[in-house]
Amino acid sequence: MRRSWLLVPASKAEQVAAAPRAGADVIVLDLVELVAEEDKFETRERLQGAVAAVSAGGVEVFVQIDPELCYADLHACVWPGLAGVVVSRAESPQQIVEIDEQLGRLEHERGILPGALKIVAALETARGNHAAYDVARASPRVCGLTLGRADLVMDLRPEPSGEIHLMPYLMQRLIIIARAAGVTPVGAWWRAPDRGLLATPEHSYQAGQRGRAIGFKGAMCLRANQVEPLNRAYS
Amino acid sequence: MPVVTPRFVDHAWRRGCDFVTLDLEDSVPRHLKAHARSLIKDAIPNVSKGGTEAFTRINHDFVRADLEAVVWPGLAKVVYPKTEHAEEVRLLDAIITRLERERGIHPGTVEIGPNIETAVGVTNVFEIAVASPRVREFGSTTGGYDLSRDLGVEMFVDFDQFVYVKGEAELAARTLGLRVRGAPFVANTSGSVSDPDRAFRQAEAARRCGFRVSGGGLNPATVESQNVGYMPSDEDVRDAHWVLEQYQRLEGTGETWLEVESRLIDRYEAARARDTLEWAELCAERNLEKAQAVARVKAAMAAQTPAQK
Repeated sequence: MRRSWLLVPASKAEQVAAAPRAGADVIVLDLVELVAEEDKFETRERLQGAVAAVSAGGVEVFVQIDPELCYADLHACVWPGLAGVVVSRAESPQQIVEIDEQLGRLEHERGILPGALKIVAALETARGNHAAYDVARASPRVCGLTLGRADLVMDLRPEPSGEIHLMPYLMQRLIIIARAAGVTPVGAWWRAPDRGLLATPEHSYQAGQRGRAIGFKGAMCLRANQVEPLNRAYS
Repeated sequence: MPVVTPRFVDHAWRRGCDFVTLDLEDSVPRHLKAHARSLIKDAIPNVSKGGTEAFTRINHDFVRADLEAVVWPGLAKVVYPKTEHAEEVRLLDAIITRLERERGIHPGTVEIGPNIETAVGVTNVFEIAVASPRVREFGSTTGGYDLSRDLGVEMFVDFDQFVYVKGEAELAARTLGLRVRGAPFVANTSGSVSDPDRAFRQAEAARRCGFRVSGGGLNPATVESQNVGYMPSDEDVRDAHWVLEQYQRLEGTGETWLEVESRLIDRYEAARARDTLEWAELCAERNLEKAQAVARVKAAMAAQTPAQK
């Protein structure tokens, strides 16, 4: 069951330690968006312990990786206890194939069951969304698609109606493509002014309800107080 | 504007538009098409002398005759209505390429603006956008009459009836890295095309969404509304400076975001603020450029006709 995916900065030891108690079905240890550039190297060094500790707490653990740093990020995160990776700014099937191959090699080297590690592709750019169907089918490891922070990466801002520009189209497109490819569409229907970190529990619940209504199965969030409302909305 | 109506064409240069579209299509009756073609060559410098760019909208079914008549020095763009297939764009490109060479126009000057106004066009939207490097700006419009008619969609409703159509066009433009034209939904239940307040709300909504290029207007009363609506207000500029000040506080802290006065400050907000400041400067430059061009023309006219007492 993956109703709520809580992103936690992998660089913040206290937040990582508290993560298993947040009530989320999945913890995503982030190496991309929430970690300051100067902290990334040290964060990778400590990731093996973080993955083990969070998974020992009884939740599924994914790590969000940067495709531009994918060799370093994958080497740092593929350890027993990891369920899979979220590929931020996923753009092409080739990229997914490369990550698939690296995961296979690391599984072999580190005593993880072959093919066990999953991929969630975060389609945060126009190119990624354009190629969504091919990305979803690029590897049997791909188990989900999400828009991630497309509103920020693509600079999509609120319309007078409160809808975030282009998102109603991108959400429906992603859901159809995910279903056609047999993978899970992950997301919620956020509206302005709720945005990621500032969304209240009440607005997170409403975003989850609207998301469920159009076909999303579980959503990602950035704060612990958004977890319970999402679990409720997707139950 | 219909190129056959001299009072529109002769006054266009002082309207303050960024661009004027000289129309050969829907606003010109069939028996006047040949006459209209003969007017374009002179109309181009006439409308653009005040710093305005000159575009022409040609007829879907008279490509060859129309292009021969419109591709002259000074023309910035050919707007092609009811585009349905990439081959149509490639044909336009080939003819324009020849005419540019024949008529001493720098190769690649004339843009192509393919309008998507039919279901077939929507289906082929990506192939159309990628068909020629002359397509430099692409995306959605506020939904035209032709599209409504072809799809059987009502024009004046209070919800966004073109989510899919606009999304397809805009995703193609963004994927290809073209200048993106976007049309956030602003209800128009009255059907007015000359209401300056509505034009302002539409332009302001587009600018707040980050867009820079207007789809144009059908009435001179909307020009000023569009120019002002697309330009950041003084308040926006002050706010952008404030965001950048707050953002500096993040430096060296190891944090990627902070919350100030219930607003979130991060690198994305900082990028938007920088973008606003840059756009405000470009708008000011363009306004100055047009004002100077208009002043030059007025001075030249005054010199020609001595002042009468």
